[in-house]
Amino acid sequence: MSRNDRLRLAFAGLHPDRRRALLEEWGSAAAVLVAIERGRVGVSRAVREAIVPAAECRRRLAAVGAAAFFSEGPGYPGHLAALPDAPDVLFGRGMLPDGPGVAIVGTRRSTRYGRSVAHAYGRAAAAAGWPVISGLARGIDGEAHRGCVEAGGVGVAVLGSGPDVVYPAEHRGLLDGLLSGGGAVVSEYPPGARPEPWRFPPRNRVIAGLSGVVVVVESAVTGGSLITARAALDQGCTVMAVPGDVDRETSVGCNLLIRDGAVPVLGPDDFTEAVSLVLGPPASLHRGRTAESEDERRAAAVPLSGVTLDEAAALWSTDPAGAAAAAGRMELAGLLRFEGGLLVPAGGSGR
Amino acid sequence: MFAAVTSVALVGVEPRPVRVEVHVAGSTPQFGLVGLPDTAVREARERVRSAVNAAGFPFPNRRITVNLAPAEIPKGGSAYDLPIALGVLSAAGLIRPAATEVVALGELALDGAVRSARGGLAAGIVAAAAGLPCLLPPGSASEASLVGGIDLRPVRSLPHAVAVALGEAEPAAAAGAPPADPEPIGDLSAVRGQRAARRALEIAAAGGHHLLLSGPPGSGKTMLARCLPGLLPPLDRAASLEVAAAWAAAGRRRGDPARPPFRSPHHTATPAAVVGGGSGVPVPGELTLAHRGVLFLDEFGEFPPRLLDALRQPLEEGVAHVARKGISVRFPCAAQVVAATNPCPCGYRGDRRTACRCTPRALDRYRARLSGPLLDRLDIRVAVPRLTADELAGPPGEPAGPVWRRVAAAREVQAARGVLNRDLDRGRLDAMGWGPGAERRLREAVERVALTARGWDRVRRVARTIADLAGSEAVGEAHVAEALALRGEW
Repeated sequence: MSRNDRLRLAFAGLHPDRRRALLEEWGSAAAVLVAIERGRVGVSRAVREAIVPAAECRRRLAAVGAAAFFSEGPGYPGHLAALPDAPDVLFGRGMLPDGPGVAIVGTRRSTRYGRSVAHAYGRAAAAAGWPVISGLARGIDGEAHRGCVEAGGVGVAVLGSGPDVVYPAEHRGLLDGLLSGGGAVVSEYPPGARPEPWRFPPRNRVIAGLSGVVVVVESAVTGGSLITARAALDQGCTVMAVPGDVDRETSVGCNLLIRDGAVPVLGPDDFTEAVSLVLGPPASLHRGRTAESEDERRAAAVPLSGVTLDEAAALWSTDPAGAAAAAGRMELAGLLRFEGGLLVPAGGSGR
Repeated sequence: MFAAVTSVALVGVEPRPVRVEVHVAGSTPQFGLVGLPDTAVREARERVRSAVNAAGFPFPNRRITVNLAPAEIPKGGSAYDLPIALGVLSAAGLIRPAATEVVALGELALDGAVRSARGGLAAGIVAAAAGLPCLLPPGSASEASLVGGIDLRPVRSLPHAVAVALGEAEPAAAAGAPPADPEPIGDLSAVRGQRAARRALEIAAAGGHHLLLSGPPGSGKTMLARCLPGLLPPLDRAASLEVAAAWAAAGRRRGDPARPPFRSPHHTATPAAVVGGGSGVPVPGELTLAHRGVLFLDEFGEFPPRLLDALRQPLEEGVAHVARKGISVRFPCAAQVVAATNPCPCGYRGDRRTACRCTPRALDRYRARLSGPLLDRLDIRVAVPRLTADELAGPPGEPAGPVWRRVAAAREVQAARGVLNRDLDRGRLDAMGWGPGAERRLREAVERVALTARGWDRVRRVARTIADLAGSEAVGEAHVAEALALRGEW
């Protein structure tokens, strides 16, 4: 009975802080629901109308292929449940990994540098066997997920909307990749919940809660990723940050974190090493290094910040035609890709 | 009491002979003009009457009917004055009929002087086809002299014209050519750095491919585009006449007739100004002025989508059709498009020194604006990054000469094949010899980088040109790989 009430309360779509405060005040979900019904607690009409019978809640979940995970129940990671402000109920698709993962987060208004770093770290974490947790947003989040999917890792997307609402919509394919790769998409908001701005800051504590390490790749001083970092610090998990140019808006947040004691991570290898100090050695040790081909050597020479075709020609000591041909070949081999006319590494090498 | 003089009218940019038929009969003074004349042609009656009198001939006070045949071609302008006057004089028996065996063109002043009029080149072309001497105002003669092998006779006045037509007087000297419309000319050797973009330009020149240059403001996109005409093979006699005729139809004059033209319409231009049209007699647009040359679309994303759509079909067919009541006009427009765009609204996406300040939303909107059927036709897309200080201070690049020679060689190979690589369609591409390495790369591209069917054709066309530039019969693996890097799906 109690679970039904908790489910019904979760469907009401209250702000997570409000819901937690009400639960503390009234003692149980059933009591809160009764209080709302009797008008003892003032809520908006939308919330009042969203309170439906538990059977209806379950029907709606089933309709979108999602399940409810209760904080003490199966499928709900123990390390998240241990947090004082853990969501009472999580809605999700797929399977949440048991152990803590690596959160790779950052701004939506990312630079190419940030995106290629996020991509490389996503790959590296996945190759090391750590779940990659992020928020499916444009920019850094999306690239981290993409890197993880490409390397065949387990990834979790924590949404600021209902578990069935993909925002941004163009990440639907990415989300499908996560799910088919054995990952999960979770949210504490009920199916159909729109991605409204107020939903995102509470969401960030869930990202931190699912992770043992939070890596902030790029963030302005006011970025939502700093909320994630703060939540991570409150929860006692390690915060890492990718240093950037001191005068670049999208790196100021990261640089501040480093000044305040966050661990700077300097590259995919350094990242793997730093994370393994926290989460233990990677489950899958890197594949043996095979002899590198000419193109692999060339790809390794390309900095994360990318190069123009002219710079690539100088870097590889070839003419523009040769550089373009090499670039075309390396793109096909998945070593490089074009982004905004620049050649960037397709991701960390997985080492 | 009948006479006919040949003159000329333009259908689109195409000169058509017009027979100016004059019939003089009866005794009621009347001067009628039929055959789809516009107002300026109708006013010819007053000018002709006055000029004939001023020339010392008695104007025949009888019923005069002038017919401009064929009647379905619209005729405009004041250039029919001279042929009408010659016809009237001959039909009235005031001069010998031999004086009408000419192609004549020119406006008459009230005192009988012959003034310059549009259509000198067209008259030359008609005269060459008819094998007749060509009577023209001195100011139009230099235009007509582009047509070789005609009996060109500049005339000063109506009496002079009669005498010249009968071979009784020497023609006047042709007046100096009026100033040509300026065309910007790029100097490839002044372009520093940008080696990848220069290479792309060379490939585009060799295969006639439409080209997209994407880069931040001030990176030299316009300068590169202006260099393209200098890399193309010069126009042969027939082609330069075609282009000159197109320009003349728009009332413009070319400086160097053999140089492929370069036109850059602004993005606020109307569809009629770009594709051709306008009220009354249709006038060629920028697209036709760029015939056999380069149409440069700067700020590609700013052009209204409707206009870009309107460009697609003419560019594909090489002809723009403009329909008017009763007549459909064809404007030739086999132009090569060079489009330039900022990579994003703020212009700094992909620039490492200045951060892009565009929101993802704005970027999406921008990309949606850029895409479209015309973008699909741009075979080569290359980034033009901002120059570094080293490159700015560095040595200038290769001059146009050697590039031009390589392009010319590649064009010869294509001429032997019978089709420009830009125009290779899927069937022709499929029938081509692709080496095993090339086949493998193309297959990989479809599988790994999600090349679309159109993208696949684009890559194959460009790879064919790269192989032609390399003097290679078969398309090799490296050619396909380079073409892939120039497809710019970003």
